[in-house]
Amino acid sequence: MSAQNTGASGVVAGPKPDRTVPLVVLGAGPGGYTAAFRAADLGMQVTLVERWESLGGVCLNVGCIPSKALLHAAKVIDEAQSMAAHGVSFGEPQVDIDKLRGWKGSVVRRLTGGLAQLAKQRKVEVVRGTARFAGPHVLEVTAPDGGTQLLGFEQIIIAAGSEPVKLPFMPVDPRVIDSTGALELQGVPQRLLVIGGGIIGLEMACVYEALGAKVSVIELSPQLMPGADPDLVRPLEKRLKKRYEQILLGAKVVKGEALPEGIRISYEADGQAKQDVFDRVLVAVGRVPNGRLINAAAAGLNVNERGFIPVDKQMRTNVPHIFAIGDIVGNPMLAHKATHEAKVAAENAAGHKASFDARVIPSVAYTDPEVAWVGLTETQAKADGVAIDKAVFPWAASGRSLSLGRDEGFTKLIVDKTSNRIVGGGIVGPNAGELIAEIALAIELGADAVDVGLTIHPHPTLSESVGMAAEALEGTLTDLYLPKKKG
Amino acid sequence: MSAVIEVRVPDLGNFNEVAVVEVLVKPGDAVEVDTSLVTLETEKATMDVPSTAAGVVESVRVKAGDKVSAGSLVVTLRGEAPAAAGADSSAAAVASSAPAAATAPAAPVSIDVVVPDLGNFAEVSVIDVMAKLGDTVEVDTPLATLETEKATMDVPSTVAGVVEAVHIQKGGKVSSGAKVVTVRGVVPPVAASAAAAATATVAPPRTSGASASAAPPATASSAGAAVGSAQLPPINEAGFSKAHAGPSVRKLARELGVDLSRVKGSGQKGRITHEDVKAWVKQVLTGGGAAGAGAALPQVPAVDFAKFGPVEVKPLGRIQKISGPRLHAAWVNLPHVTQFDEADITDLEIERAKLKDAAAAQGVKLTPLAFVIRAVVKALQEYPVFNASLHPDGQSVVMKQYMHIGFAADTPNGLLVPVIHDADRKDIYDIARALADLSDRARKGTLKGTEMQGGCFTVSSLGGIGGTAFTPIINAPEVAILGVSRTQTKPVWQGGAFVPRQMLPLSLSYDHRLIDGAAGARFAVYLSKMLADPQALVEAVP
Repeated sequence: MSAQNTGASGVVAGPKPDRTVPLVVLGAGPGGYTAAFRAADLGMQVTLVERWESLGGVCLNVGCIPSKALLHAAKVIDEAQSMAAHGVSFGEPQVDIDKLRGWKGSVVRRLTGGLAQLAKQRKVEVVRGTARFAGPHVLEVTAPDGGTQLLGFEQIIIAAGSEPVKLPFMPVDPRVIDSTGALELQGVPQRLLVIGGGIIGLEMACVYEALGAKVSVIELSPQLMPGADPDLVRPLEKRLKKRYEQILLGAKVVKGEALPEGIRISYEADGQAKQDVFDRVLVAVGRVPNGRLINAAAAGLNVNERGFIPVDKQMRTNVPHIFAIGDIVGNPMLAHKATHEAKVAAENAAGHKASFDARVIPSVAYTDPEVAWVGLTETQAKADGVAIDKAVFPWAASGRSLSLGRDEGFTKLIVDKTSNRIVGGGIVGPNAGELIAEIALAIELGADAVDVGLTIHPHPTLSESVGMAAEALEGTLTDLYLPKKKG
Repeated sequence: MSAVIEVRVPDLGNFNEVAVVEVLVKPGDAVEVDTSLVTLETEKATMDVPSTAAGVVESVRVKAGDKVSAGSLVVTLRGEAPAAAGADSSAAAVASSAPAAATAPAAPVSIDVVVPDLGNFAEVSVIDVMAKLGDTVEVDTPLATLETEKATMDVPSTVAGVVEAVHIQKGGKVSSGAKVVTVRGVVPPVAASAAAAATATVAPPRTSGASASAAPPATASSAGAAVGSAQLPPINEAGFSKAHAGPSVRKLARELGVDLSRVKGSGQKGRITHEDVKAWVKQVLTGGGAAGAGAALPQVPAVDFAKFGPVEVKPLGRIQKISGPRLHAAWVNLPHVTQFDEADITDLEIERAKLKDAAAAQGVKLTPLAFVIRAVVKALQEYPVFNASLHPDGQSVVMKQYMHIGFAADTPNGLLVPVIHDADRKDIYDIARALADLSDRARKGTLKGTEMQGGCFTVSSLGGIGGTAFTPIINAPEVAILGVSRTQTKPVWQGGAFVPRQMLPLSLSYDHRLIDGAAGARFAVYLSKMLADPQALVEAVP
């Protein structure tokens, strides 16, 4: 046995810090600020290090929140249009893009300003700068003005997040953008190509289509939104196919060239090499963790080949006084995963014993229709050999859905055949993202389908569909005629 | 070739820190291979450490009263190193000096001893350094003392050997994983894995490709366990994640270190509540464990016997001191049932008489007990539930795929239970040979620790003394024991008349938690049938 002396060694501790604090949180995204605030609430003195001026990270500044503001605008445009067929016409929308961008910005500022206030109330010190490890107990923080300080710490929670993947073959050109660029809303292109048919790509496609762009989507895998059950994605795909210029599945982009008239994209689809020129190209093929950007080796931290920092259930890294949370520790890269991990890390740092024991993490695409799923999918159950039962309640039988002018949605529940407990669910349709929380709660509490079916859901709502799917499983549903199951 | 040879304590089985009761040699003594050097006393037996080489004792490194473990240096000899490295004795010498490397015996290596996991403390002060260059240290010898905000703690050595380098100094600061000393020595197997567990806190990477719908897979890291309480068993993460318990109950379980897969839920459909978790902890704290026996047994009142007449108080024998609590534990923890039966061994005795002399000519004493053990093997093969143990979690049964049979041996020092290993692969002659050898060495007190471990089933024969039946206590965690009493010639009703038959009384005690009454009776009947069929017992073992 040769004892590995990792960076945990206190003998070689790196350079002598200018000052030492009890707990540093590196990164002020949803994971970082939650960790900082929770640790402060547990009585710790917390220093929050953030490279951008406003707190909130990707989620608040260039992610979840601004995209939802724009998606709301898109939805209003779409609904106004569709009401024309039912007797209410508004005429063509007049879009003042600067004003829209300004509104989006005000939503973001209101939230990030609120965070700064919350930090102040908790006496969390905010240090502005980009940080790298200089030793297992020292960070080198470089301020925007170039000045550096060596910040010592007893413990640290790394919440340094992720950034969009760049495609090496795409030219550097203002017309080639990532999600951050798309949210800046620099005009509406005539023809937009979205590379990547995942959640981020499709949400931005939705915004730009509503604002008048002709949208093409190109996705490497054979289905949009890989990871969701195919049946769940089908209503979305059907709707998008009618509205978008083209949706290319199982297609691969191989080259991008900046020409005066646009970005020429070479791609392979159906075994053929093709080319097309777009006014703008959005690259949304995923996000890469920032594990390689923080000089983790100086702290003796393990970073895997994909840039993730492995942690245990207490969110502890291989170095016992260093925790990591959020996008930087693994998929799914979701704010609501990060905030829960943040509380676990903060509690452990404060000497409590906590563990990340969530059973499920819901996923939501705020497309139109929305797609949301949680827990076990049918695909996964098949792969794992888990015996399941499922029931689907089509929204064509929901008065609330029809009164919204929509009938394509459905709610699906998946139960474990042996325990009868709800283990998964999926919803597609308007507001699916709001509805999925009930299924997540049912899973965490270990509810059977009958428990959900016997819970009175208000009528007429979309949430009824969850109760009715549960009744369908139990055979007590009266809103549909379902042939009796054998046995 | 004259060389200095080190003789070390051989593998002691599960024993560590064994007392040296007597040193039999002194510097200058000439010793041969197998000359006894010192006598050790484990909980179960005394044993001599034989020399692994011939030569003259140069130094004796232990004295009576010392505690030693496998690998500890006993004496150094100057003499002939055993020739040809492949020879038995040298192989034994090497193997015994390096029990950790059973397959690849290695020379001592340099091993770093590091600061163990300090929990949440980092940069802890070193207030004393006990280890000095050249010191000989054992496993658990304190090397340095650290002081955290809350307490002082010693850093124990995880290896035995000689200190080659000291990496820390008094007044310095260290954190978990920092090197303390480098020791040249051999790694005892248990300490090695513990040390590995202490330093290897690297969690396996998450499978980051997992679909967004599933919670991140559990990363089975040792860090959580290392930080957690030492008393509670490690948490079965797969079971924990399936337990029927809500988020707040899971949180409480984590705080208390409770493995939810071991907790029985009292709620609807077996749902685990906060109260269930608390009750489980209470049960463990009161010594109940998963089995749930009470610690507060009513005590037998103490009596001043001297009031009634003259008395003499003598200390209990060593083996009585050890076996007493174990017998008590088995008696209070295991619901015993004893099944009685009689085996007709008339034909067996005729057969045995026929074979006895031929066997004796080959030095094998073919005793009735050998036949009983052979019959027990056959019965265990027929009823494998008797070759099992209850899992400590109380949720499962450990079925053993080996068959080691113990037998109670009455020795001048007290009751010992040597174990015939792999009895199912031994024919009647092998068993008889093993019986004779083990009984002989049990009386002499030269059994090795490993020869008294691993038993699956025990036979206790009092037939040589007398009696018609008795209720033997199960040698827990075994699940059954066979008592054998004295054969008597009895009238048996056969073919319309009483005929004299030699009947062997059997008393089978079994653990009723695992074995039901019908199975107990069937086992006893099958055993009797086997004993009535000597041909089946003398057949060669495939």
